[in-house]
Amino acid sequence: MTQHITKSDWFGPFVVSVAAIIVVGILKPSFLTPFNIQILLLAISVNALVAFAQMVIIGIGQMNLSVGAIGGLAAISFAGMMEVWGLPWPIAAMLALAVGLLAGVLNGALVALTGVSAFVITLATLSVFKGINLGITEAQPFYEIPEAVKWIGNASLFGTIPLLFFPFAITAIALWYFLFRLPLGRTILAVGGNSHAAELSGISVPKAEIVAHAISGVLAAMAGIMLVARLELGQPSIGDDWLILSFAAPVIGGALLTGGRISVAGTCCGVVIIAIITQVLVLFNIDPFLVQVVLGLLILWAVGVNRLREIRGQRHVPGGAA
Amino acid sequence: MTKRPVLKATTAAILLGVLSTQASADSTTRVALVPGGPHPYFAAWEQAGKDAARDFGLAAADYRVPQKWELSMQNQILESLVTQGYNAFLVFPGDPVGTVAIANELAGTGAPVLALAGCLQDPSEAKFCMGTDTGNSAYLGAKELLEVLGPGAKIAHFTGFLVDPNTQLRIDAVARAAEEAGAEVIQVIADIDAPEPAEEKINAYLAAHAGDVDGIITTAWVPAVVAANALRRIGDKRIKMVGIDHDEVVMNAIRDGYVHGTMLQNPYGQGYIGSFVADRLRSGCEVKADAPFKSIALTDKFIDSGTVFAGIDAVDNYVASMQAITAELMEGFEDTYLTCS
Repeated sequence: MTQHITKSDWFGPFVVSVAAIIVVGILKPSFLTPFNIQILLLAISVNALVAFAQMVIIGIGQMNLSVGAIGGLAAISFAGMMEVWGLPWPIAAMLALAVGLLAGVLNGALVALTGVSAFVITLATLSVFKGINLGITEAQPFYEIPEAVKWIGNASLFGTIPLLFFPFAITAIALWYFLFRLPLGRTILAVGGNSHAAELSGISVPKAEIVAHAISGVLAAMAGIMLVARLELGQPSIGDDWLILSFAAPVIGGALLTGGRISVAGTCCGVVIIAIITQVLVLFNIDPFLVQVVLGLLILWAVGVNRLREIRGQRHVPGGAA
Repeated sequence: MTKRPVLKATTAAILLGVLSTQASADSTTRVALVPGGPHPYFAAWEQAGKDAARDFGLAAADYRVPQKWELSMQNQILESLVTQGYNAFLVFPGDPVGTVAIANELAGTGAPVLALAGCLQDPSEAKFCMGTDTGNSAYLGAKELLEVLGPGAKIAHFTGFLVDPNTQLRIDAVARAAEEAGAEVIQVIADIDAPEPAEEKINAYLAAHAGDVDGIITTAWVPAVVAANALRRIGDKRIKMVGIDHDEVVMNAIRDGYVHGTMLQNPYGQGYIGSFVADRLRSGCEVKADAPFKSIALTDKFIDSGTVFAGIDAVDNYVASMQAITAELMEGFEDTYLTCS
């Protein structure tokens, strides 16, 4: 059991996360105040959904460059439907999720039907979704956010656990269950691991691709909606900054960019590590230029560790590359 | 589902106070107003262009936004606009040096080019640069903040993109004002002119250091909005803050006492006057050789589009303040800066 845990993808990032929390907590006691923990959990809750949106696509061995654009479009749709059409927020939220779903299905269908690389397709749809966003907002935020939504974005349990943490936690568990316990989820990973073998074993590759992109779109939309609640406005630039984070967290968490191997818990740990680094740079008044450098080095380190693990794995397979 | 009521109300109100001057009837001038990327600051340019087109009889004065803050994307849009028949360009340079080449290319087609809201590095073919004297605005804002805090105050400075050359000017200006007032800038948080990083870093800073800081100055739009919201959320009226621009969130925070005031800029005036000048230049006017331009780090042909502090006493009539800036600049602009035969 212990050996199983220590060999799992998430164990390394988990140890790093815990060590970072302890070290920073000792050096800067204000890091562990209830208010700061709340701020940290808020950042983790939203960023984890962004990372999940990319992680699912990495699972099928593809990339989704339009994660941020989908999140931004869902965010301004959510805020706009409440401000302009006066829709109640639960309906607006459902419709915004539908926008994310639709965008994801469009990505998946284009990839599956044309056979063109997801990189190219999502690069194109990024532009389409962002264009629609700007066409609607004209780069101006939507301000009229209902008090209930603002409350959800800012309320917390015991002054420490933000309400937005719960959608994230539920999603994380549901996503883990779907990917690793349900047949449809496992077909996504099977396609990512070896699409040719999956096809020969009767799995519909196009279906798996469309499902993965649809889930990615919904997760990105959820992140966008949560950010509207947090920011208390519908900023058109929501999502513009998501790309690096969306790749960094799953990769730090042990995902293989070639597909087939992802970890929900590992991705969560990756998000925690990135959030801690971001906070540390502020708390210790470190040059903001460094945040990009540190993040880049961290991705290189994670990719290196994963590659090492891959080579070791191959050595243990009889007849594998030695 | 589009939005505009607030912006339209504001700009229409500004318009009422602006003096219309000579309109060249049935002008063939087609002005393109092109920011570096999407940002709420530039939204007033759209209405300014429309108003200028109507008031001065221009064939068009259209606002065209690149989808992203990327120099190559802005360059492509500008080249495409030439082929679409636009013959005058008001451009926020995506990069003060990198945009010079495309500005010179546009000028080579005979189109007047003006740098708006941000300047090109001299030498360039731009007729002049009209924008906020960002350093001066940050300096004046810091002065307002430090006046209410008194000597020995500790302030934090939240500012914009590190790639924006104005950011360093703002950092230096705030530091200078603090030094003059015997205050200390204990932290500068930059590169947060986007919602997610601003939210994360400003809240993390306040969570750890709210007790250590007496005041906050923000010199970029998004940090101002996020910091105003953060102070409201933690219910802290001890920390005084001076923001920038006229976002509703900031103006409401001033009304409710969470923010001391804001430094207003004049994007509407830039677009309106810029469109007028572009038409005049196409009608045979020329920029005076001895025009009283200001010199700033990037250029010797700078016109300050104005900045003014709006505190609690001015928050409900800030539109009037912006009207006054635009009207003052517009009145006598032609006599001061142009030679028309």
